[in-house]
Amino acid sequence: MGQIVSIHSFRGGTGKSNTTANLAAQVALAGKRACIVDTDIQSPGIHVLFGLNEVKMGKTLNDFLNGLCDIKDVAFSIGENALDAEGRSKLAGKDLWLIPCSIRGREISQVLREGYDVNRLNEGLQTLLKDLNLDYLFIDTHPGLNEETLLSIAISDILIIILRPDQQDLQGTAVTVDIARSLDVPKLLLVVNKALMRYDFQDIKNQMENLFKAPVAGVLPLSEDLADMGSADIFSLRYPDHPWSQAIRGVAQMILASK
Amino acid sequence: MDNDIVVKLKKSFLFRGLPESTLSELAQRVTKRKLVKDEVLIRKGAEGDSLFMVDQGWFKIVSEEAQGGELILNHSGPGESIGEMALLDEEPRSATVIALSDAEVLELKRDAFLSVLNQNPELSVQLIRETSKRLRFTTTYLEKAIDWSKKIGEGDYSFALEEINTEKPLGGQESDEDKAGQLLSAFFSMVQGVKAREDELKEQLLKLSIEIDEARRKQEFEEITSTDFYADLKLKAKKLREKRTNDNP
Repeated sequence: MGQIVSIHSFRGGTGKSNTTANLAAQVALAGKRACIVDTDIQSPGIHVLFGLNEVKMGKTLNDFLNGLCDIKDVAFSIGENALDAEGRSKLAGKDLWLIPCSIRGREISQVLREGYDVNRLNEGLQTLLKDLNLDYLFIDTHPGLNEETLLSIAISDILIIILRPDQQDLQGTAVTVDIARSLDVPKLLLVVNKALMRYDFQDIKNQMENLFKAPVAGVLPLSEDLADMGSADIFSLRYPDHPWSQAIRGVAQMILASK
Repeated sequence: MDNDIVVKLKKSFLFRGLPESTLSELAQRVTKRKLVKDEVLIRKGAEGDSLFMVDQGWFKIVSEEAQGGELILNHSGPGESIGEMALLDEEPRSATVIALSDAEVLELKRDAFLSVLNQNPELSVQLIRETSKRLRFTTTYLEKAIDWSKKIGEGDYSFALEEINTEKPLGGQESDEDKAGQLLSAFFSMVQGVKAREDELKEQLLKLSIEIDEARRKQEFEEITSTDFYADLKLKAKKLREKRTNDNP
């Protein structure tokens, strides 16, 4: 049975979508069947990393939640359709899918106004696991701890919390860790992103592990190169030797090892 | 005058042991040259058609670096010959030679050298012996350089610092190994700089200062978990996990 891997951060701007996309890409590159679900309905973004725009985007998660289609109809095959960039082209023939969110303003505001049925989201995720015969289902969550995010955490086999080494992220992460324990999430991993090079990474890892009593799967450096590329491609595929990419592969290894 | 030179030739490693008549012949063809400290005897890349025998003083054989620094490849002192390589292979000079002190050498031109060589096969053997000795030294030098480079790669700088701190005087009876170590230590003195920079960087690495407001943490946790939604979710998550485990034992 496939594993649900939720990627969460307490606040925005931690590099959550980028990390999710790169982790899923690495797992797919290793020959696993993987799907990313963008549940950040209020501010979707991960589709950009796979070269999707309003024109190319077909059905969306919103359509499914509104009962307009099956979840399987939303699955966009990265291995067949998103090979138009140097990094992404390495995913040719790989079993990686994306369930994008609508980026139409009207549809976003509709969800914000009316909310959506978390049960239906849950059903959709379970269906995906079965129908696509997935090894890993990655959920890119909305920051914070709203109901939809709590659901993603509750149903996950692995929860990855991404945080920056700063005070506000730490405080929020502490609460998220407590919630994850209360919901009996079997495996909890921390990923520190955007760490400044002048900090002692080993010390950061040790302190975080002491504080949260959970393993730190990687300390990723703040990278100007990553920022420079914008969201045009999957960084770790394009620049595999970069320190950030090496750290991402380390985290992917921990996901692959936990099956 | 010639007799004085014959005495000097007898002290050179290359020509000692040759018959008196040959030495006399050679003596007529060599010229004496005096150098002051820091004077350049040979310039790397120059055409070379002479061989030098060191009579007095010491020389350093150096390879000049692009940045203007110099790397000492070897030292030469009384009895040793300098410059025979370019004399034999007719290539430009392979290194620069500079006097470390006031010095005196005997210079022998290629033509003269070759004609003596033709008549004295034992000189060839002597030449090969001297060249082999130098080659053997180069091999030791290279081995040591590789060994040290490896250690630096592994972050071990102790060896070079030791060597640098125990400089020995010139002209002792040290082994090739010791000599190579001494010469290389000057080269590897850069290691001190690298190590110092690394140490400094390590000290500069900042430590994160972490503090969590535990009261706030508890309060926020309770706010989230006290809702009906949460209680329901917790139950649902439990059932879902059980179901998935049962479906896939």
